[in-house]
Amino acid sequence: MKLWYSFTKELKLASKSFYFYIEIVMAIIILAVVLFAIPENFSNSRTEYLYLDMPEAAKTVFINTLLDEDTDGQAESVDVKVKKEILSATFYESDDKKIYIVDDEDTLIKLTEAKKQLGAVIEMNETGDIHYKYYLQGYETQRLQNLYMVIHNNDMLTLETAINAQDVRPLSDDYEVFNDREHTIPAMLTFNGSLMGMFIIAAFIFLDKEQGIIKAYAVTASAVWQYLMSKTLVLTITSIITTLIITIPVMGLRPNYPLMLLFLITTGFFASTVGLLVSGYFRSMTKAFNVLYLLIIFTMLPAIAYFIPSWEPVWIKFIPSYHIIHGFKEVIVKNGDTAYVLLASLGFLMAGALMFIWSNHRHKKNLTA
Amino acid sequence: MITVKNLHHSYSRDEKYAVKDVSFEIEKGEIFGFLGPSGAGKSTTQGVLSGLLQLQKGEVTVAGYNVKHIKNKMFNEIGMSFEISNVYNKMTAKENLNFYRKLFDVETREPEDLLEMVGLGDKGNIKAGDFSKGMKHRLTFARSMINNPSIWFLDEPTTGLDPAIAATIKDIIWKEKKKEVTTFLTTHNMHIADELCDRVGFIVDGELILIDSPKNLKLQYGEKFVDIEFVKDGEPIKESLSTIDDKDKARIKNIIDNYEIQTMHTKEATLEEIFIKVTGRGLV
Repeated sequence: MKLWYSFTKELKLASKSFYFYIEIVMAIIILAVVLFAIPENFSNSRTEYLYLDMPEAAKTVFINTLLDEDTDGQAESVDVKVKKEILSATFYESDDKKIYIVDDEDTLIKLTEAKKQLGAVIEMNETGDIHYKYYLQGYETQRLQNLYMVIHNNDMLTLETAINAQDVRPLSDDYEVFNDREHTIPAMLTFNGSLMGMFIIAAFIFLDKEQGIIKAYAVTASAVWQYLMSKTLVLTITSIITTLIITIPVMGLRPNYPLMLLFLITTGFFASTVGLLVSGYFRSMTKAFNVLYLLIIFTMLPAIAYFIPSWEPVWIKFIPSYHIIHGFKEVIVKNGDTAYVLLASLGFLMAGALMFIWSNHRHKKNLTA
Repeated sequence: MITVKNLHHSYSRDEKYAVKDVSFEIEKGEIFGFLGPSGAGKSTTQGVLSGLLQLQKGEVTVAGYNVKHIKNKMFNEIGMSFEISNVYNKMTAKENLNFYRKLFDVETREPEDLLEMVGLGDKGNIKAGDFSKGMKHRLTFARSMINNPSIWFLDEPTTGLDPAIAATIKDIIWKEKKKEVTTFLTTHNMHIADELCDRVGFIVDGELILIDSPKNLKLQYGEKFVDIEFVKDGEPIKESLSTIDDKDKARIKNIIDNYEIQTMHTKEATLEEIFIKVTGRGLV
């Protein structure tokens, strides 16, 4: 019962506190960013600057091909300002490309350099062979450079025929591909839903220490663990609220919400116990800042791996936030890996329980610090 | 009710003791004053006795409980009023007391009654954050009684209160004494200690110098003085003379015999004067 009284009191105090509203406002801001700033699918449109060094007849054929793909079927003469110079070009725009055709190679080089985009000279010799000369920015990967070299070993028609001839079959048709907006949700839930609790609970405890409230609690017949658990429960409630604020408008009813709640509670509990532990070793938020800052950086690394799948070193899998992100991904994706989520939940619950025992021991020893 | 044997406490966990080799006993219903200047070890001793600080070395029992292995139910017997108010600012006075009463396993007092006692009867529904410093202090004091404690720790209970409110607080402490509540009072205010305490202990630099009743201390260490105002050559003169010192006694006689006495009062040595005399230290 004392836990219940402490919890209801903490909930009441939290509803009147600054931190509670920061969490809610952050959730609303994240929702607004996801809905209005992140498109469902990022545009793949790229810009190219070309100089066609070929006979007029060949040039006409090439340009007719561009016009066929052009959104309005018309070429547009444009002036492009580069530093103090005005350069002329002809502009074509298709669904996935913006192409500027220029009249000489010098202009091409200037534009490529100024606009930091791909430039190419397409040459056709007297025998009708086409050669490509690329102007790159210098930071392109070796892989891309290799691709440019490989792609021109065959003519485009042969390549296209070969690509079309390949049979690509998924092993299962029961899978779902996230759009770009949905792809951000697991990381958002990890940081605003689960890990935010780590910092907020530390802030709550430091506030109580500062005001001496923790001392007043310590001389009651209520156990310190009840005080700590009441804070954890409040953070769990706020995590659930903020998660639902973000998830429902973006994902609708598609996620497995019972599984999401389970995962949110266990990961939130784990993160809160980390915050409890940190607050047990320091007197104030200022003194704990270095440790909290390192934790922020440390827990953010798996998010980089999540958004750049080509960078996923083995060690990153030992950082808890890696499994939180992937757990949330499995929760919101259709037919996600429930076993993984349940196993991860169990792991976070057990780790959280151990950390909680440690925190309780630490706070009992350190009540007046 | 409280037994302390060879208590030592070091914040740095080395030989730099904030409290060293302190021993004393407090009987049921006694008001025991723990007196000393700031940093003397008063709050450290109280912290160990109340379970806020871990017992490192020595033996301490409070209400029959060994403080080395604190049990939560020990706190049903204890009330603690802190020097610096520590109430929930975002809750009303009544909400504060209502919350704390639920954290004990014993019969508790009605918040309204306690607020009435400390002169906050009409302020129960006001947020503690809107209280003045003195009002918060009274709320903290009231909270310390919520569980009808048999052992009461009071840390500077009248600090920052106006004389009328301080008198009310002193009356409450007297009333609790009549109920056989044992009170451990830490203060550097010797007047309060003199008025309230059955016995006082002087602590300086972590060491307990002596323990006795204020009356015995005055008899043992105090000198009685006479303040005399008289007229000499048309000029009013004021002198304070010892009734024990032979030279002063002769001077008193000489004044009475030769001059016109305007006023003459006997005066006891104060506890503060005795503290300075015994410890060689002031109270600040």
